[in-house]
Amino acid sequence: MISRRDFLKLVVKGAVLGNFSQLITPPLAKAVAAGEIHKLPVVMIETGTCTGDSISLDNIWTPTFSDILTNILDWRYDWIMNQVQGQEAYGILQETYEKMPQEYILIVQGSMIQRDNGHYNHVGYENGKLITGIELVRRIGLKAKYVVAIGSCATYGGPVAGYPNPTQSTGVQDILPERRVINVSGCPAHPDWIMGTLLHLALYGEPELEKFGRPKLFYGETVHNRCPRRSFYDQGIFATAIGQKECLFRVGCKGPVTYSDCPIRRWNDRFNWPIGCNTPCIGCTEPGYPDLMSPFTSHLPDIPFPGGTKVNTDSIGLGVLGLTSVAITGHVVTSLYKGRIQKNLLKTSSKTNHRPALKKAQGFHKYWLKKTNKV
Amino acid sequence: MKHSVKLRKPLLKQIKADNLKGSIIQSQPLWVRIFHWGFAISLVVIISTGLQLHKPAHFLALNFSKVLVAHIVFSWFALGFLALRFTDALIRKDDSLIPKIRDLKHFPKLMAYYFYLRSSPPPARKYNSGQLLIYFSWFLVFLLASFLGLASYWQGEHLIWVWRLVGGFQMIRWIKFMISIYFLATIPVHIYLSLTEDISRLQAMVTGYERRPPKKN
Ligand code: HEM
Ligand code: SF4
Ligand code: SF4
Repeated sequence: MISRRDFLKLVVKGAVLGNFSQLITPPLAKAVAAGEIHKLPVVMIETGTCTGDSISLDNIWTPTFSDILTNILDWRYDWIMNQVQGQEAYGILQETYEKMPQEYILIVQGSMIQRDNGHYNHVGYENGKLITGIELVRRIGLKAKYVVAIGSCATYGGPVAGYPNPTQSTGVQDILPERRVINVSGCPAHPDWIMGTLLHLALYGEPELEKFGRPKLFYGETVHNRCPRRSFYDQGIFATAIGQKECLFRVGCKGPVTYSDCPIRRWNDRFNWPIGCNTPCIGCTEPGYPDLMSPFTSHLPDIPFPGGTKVNTDSIGLGVLGLTSVAITGHVVTSLYKGRIQKNLLKTSSKTNHRPALKKAQGFHKYWLKKTNKV
Repeated sequence: MKHSVKLRKPLLKQIKADNLKGSIIQSQPLWVRIFHWGFAISLVVIISTGLQLHKPAHFLALNFSKVLVAHIVFSWFALGFLALRFTDALIRKDDSLIPKIRDLKHFPKLMAYYFYLRSSPPPARKYNSGQLLIYFSWFLVFLLASFLGLASYWQGEHLIWVWRLVGGFQMIRWIKFMISIYFLATIPVHIYLSLTEDISRLQAMVTGYERRPPKKN
């Protein structure tokens, strides 16, 4: 079996060469055949989601994905992949839950919809009762060996939890505070990130996680730090419109605040990635996406106000500065009109109470102080 | 009209004795002045480079890594000056920059003065309550901005709880931007009032001395 160190190397090498799964599968298949690792049972629950992460995962470069499924992971329950339907399929989930506690991996895709006890999101039917997403995720999650949230919605709420969040959606960690959730964020998550995390779990257990619970091996560095246009940024050469070949910072690139390895891994079988086709990174892997990252073409998020309006941050800044200038100008004019400025300046700048008046003594170059009435 | 006559010493003395207003006293010790101007200059650099980091001005075409370095270096300078002032305050047991209930009580009257409802400002300790509130808020938001700056500088390697608390990098940026706007809105007020209320205070910030009227009993 390959060592963890070699595995981590393959993660990077596979990213650069674009054949991550191809590199990783043969040694793993061997290890399974030799009985060194067991096939990890996996179940996936989809809650408030567009199923984009499944689509993304299915796009992992074949034939290796099927290899992985047949050799390394025991893919048991997944709406997209199920070979059976109805109670039969649901029975597999229940069976995994009952017979393999602390053994299976739970993958959650989609936001946790909390409004009205979660009844806007039904994911199962048991004994004549509709089961909500949060209920099922909590139940299955508490007995899982690992809980992996994939995609922005399952990790941090994502678009489903976008302002004003009418369904009170949130990420899986919030409804499973008892245990650690491994976050594989992204909108969608990259197939390599999902599969790489699962393989790490199968082989070496939990990967090292970063500040927001994401595996460091994929989310350890900002997009900005590895961006091929970084030299443009450092020299201050910026694109003024989307579509130009310079650094896209000025048109809202969120690379500096976004942790992911897109610049080296890229997308669609490493064919291209946003910055490669001259559009800014929109920060899809970060908590708070999309609200904190939109408008995608501006640097800072708009500020939501009660009532559903959003105001651009820069406009608010300019507005505040405008008000200050108006206020100061108004005060200057009024103070000049009322004579306050003149009075204050005279009062505080002259050293004496009044200008001393001098009287020249007759015949001498001598001066006497004139008596005045002022004090 | 300018008089350039040479006066006899006794006469000069006489003039001074019964005519000079108040007396010259030291109001701003050296460290306070060093802090004030050092901090002011650093803050100007921090805020202008910060705004550049926020939205690069095209016509400037500055080297961005240098802008960031300047931003951080001057932040350290500013923190250093602040530390000087803080130590100085501790040594002199100076609490003139800490708002007290007494100061707050004068605040409505001060506002009445600024809105021309009173002809003179209410009595105050070293600084009037309005200035005091601005200064004090500056220290707080400056420390907050520096702290957040440090968190973003470390890129989530240290101070992770700060990232979690505020909700990520984008929020750190946003808060710092708002703090910059706060500075940009209040600094002009401060400058305006220093220039038009009591110009000898401004002089004191340069020379250390100001002329103060004798205390009325
Ligand atoms: C009064 C203190 C400070 C103010 C007012 C300030 C203001 C700002 C502003 C307005 C920005 C641009 C944010 C944006 O992208 O919109 C910025 C960025 C930055 N500041 Fe500061 N800053 C302060 C202190 C510091 C300190 C002490 C450090 C580091 C030790 C620091 C490090 C940074 C870094 C690394 C960035 C770039 C972050 C990014 O990519 O947006 N700042 N600062
Ligand atoms: S394009 Fe984006 S990620 Fe790349 S250097 Fe510019 S700001 Fe950074
Ligand atoms: S480049 Fe940015 S927006 Fe695109 S997938 Fe990567 S993290 Fe998400």
